Amino acid sequence: MNSILTVSDLNRQIKYIIENNFQFVNIEGEISNFKNHIASGHYYFSLKDDKAQINAIMWGSRNKELTFIPENGMKVLVKGKVTLYETRGTYQIDVFELKKSGSGDLQAAYEELKNKLFAEGLFREEHKKELPIFPERVCVITSESGAAWQDFVKVTKKRYPYVKLFLINALMQGSGSAESICKAVRIANNPAYNLDEIVITRGGGSMEDLWSFNDENLAREIFNSALPVITAVGHEVDFTISDFVADRRAATPSNAAEIIFPDINEIFRYLDDSASELEKTVKYKLRNIKIALDNISGNYYFKRPADLLNENKIKTDELSKKLNTIIKEKLSNLRLFLHSSERIINTIGPDKTLKRGFAIIEKEDKIISRKAGLRTGDKVQIRFFDGETDSEIL
Amino acid sequence: MEKKKTAAKKTTGFQDSFKRLEEILEKLENEVEDSSLEEIIKYYQEGLKLLKECRDKLSEAELKIEKISTEENV
Repeated sequence: MNSILTVSDLNRQIKYIIENNFQFVNIEGEISNFKNHIASGHYYFSLKDDKAQINAIMWGSRNKELTFIPENGMKVLVKGKVTLYETRGTYQIDVFELKKSGSGDLQAAYEELKNKLFAEGLFREEHKKELPIFPERVCVITSESGAAWQDFVKVTKKRYPYVKLFLINALMQGSGSAESICKAVRIANNPAYNLDEIVITRGGGSMEDLWSFNDENLAREIFNSALPVITAVGHEVDFTISDFVADRRAATPSNAAEIIFPDINEIFRYLDDSASELEKTVKYKLRNIKIALDNISGNYYFKRPADLLNENKIKTDELSKKLNTIIKEKLSNLRLFLHSSERIINTIGPDKTLKRGFAIIEKEDKIISRKAGLRTGDKVQIRFFDGETDSEIL
Repeated sequence: MEKKKTAAKKTTGFQDSFKRLEEILEKLENEVEDSSLEEIIKYYQEGLKLLKECRDKLSEAELKIEKISTEENV
């Protein structure tokens, strides 16, 4: 009969057997249940194929050197030790190295195509088309159901809603995806749509997921596009051939929207600045004109009228003085004339004659100078030198 | 190709007003000394009009989305 073991003893013995038999192993599989433990930086995940799975851990100290963040579904090549966690009686792979699987062959093909197209000059700066500053009609080639499309729309809405997006739903990974994207680029270039530029975008993924963006035909289709093409494929660290040949590469779908659309708030600010600029210019002009006017009115020739007026004023004063003198003279002459006329009238008038004893007979205010003018009973006035008396002809 | 007339580009879009506004600001800056007050006022008035157009156009703007089918296209 075997001796009885404690659980700890058993786990320790199994650990010994396992860890001695599997020093370092290379395993190919697909990542699932990926967890990035933020505080420690450790990666926890399962590695699986279509029939089985095994737990895996990659310590924070080891995963720092990775150039990509693992994702569920990503096919990877793992180099690590099989270890047993005694406390739980579970075993796992302690991952030392992690590579996207198949990257050996793909990497070689990628480099080969990149060098070929580079030699042809497809990546040259002189071929890069300028992006419109205020795009109005923008084509987005992406998967309608993908997060990339949602992100792009969200940023566009916030940043520059004055635009119309034309969505062309295309396969963004797997077989036929390169052809699907090529076709979308051709459709977008149909002048009937009158588009301003093309955005090709999708989220991150494995090297295989992004592989269609390393397709030679797609690279040439992008190069030949009459419209500017912006690519936003995968993550920051992923560079595809399409990115090199595109007129502009964006790191992420959101970044693509930030690159191609101006910020509407900045435009409003610019408009406000323009308004005060307009105002300032007109005020400046007006001030200049006022200064110029002041200068001109200070000029000798423009002071002349005032001088002339002043001269005339003096003359007028003199004239009116003269006129006064003349009028005064005339008046005194007139007075003298009146005085002498009075004397003459007194001399030749009836008064003196009346005083000598004559009288004037008037009938109805008319002087009666002959006897025939009077009849018996007429009422007359007799004017003496000292007064009148009413009388009746008898 | 000919049937898609609806896709014809608007000619009095925001961009046109904005470009003209920039032109006017540049002209004002360069010609303020030499131009007559009448010309300056004319630019000023057009500038104000364009400013209003730009603001109105941006304010009433709303993101539009249209799907282009890949089926009817070859």
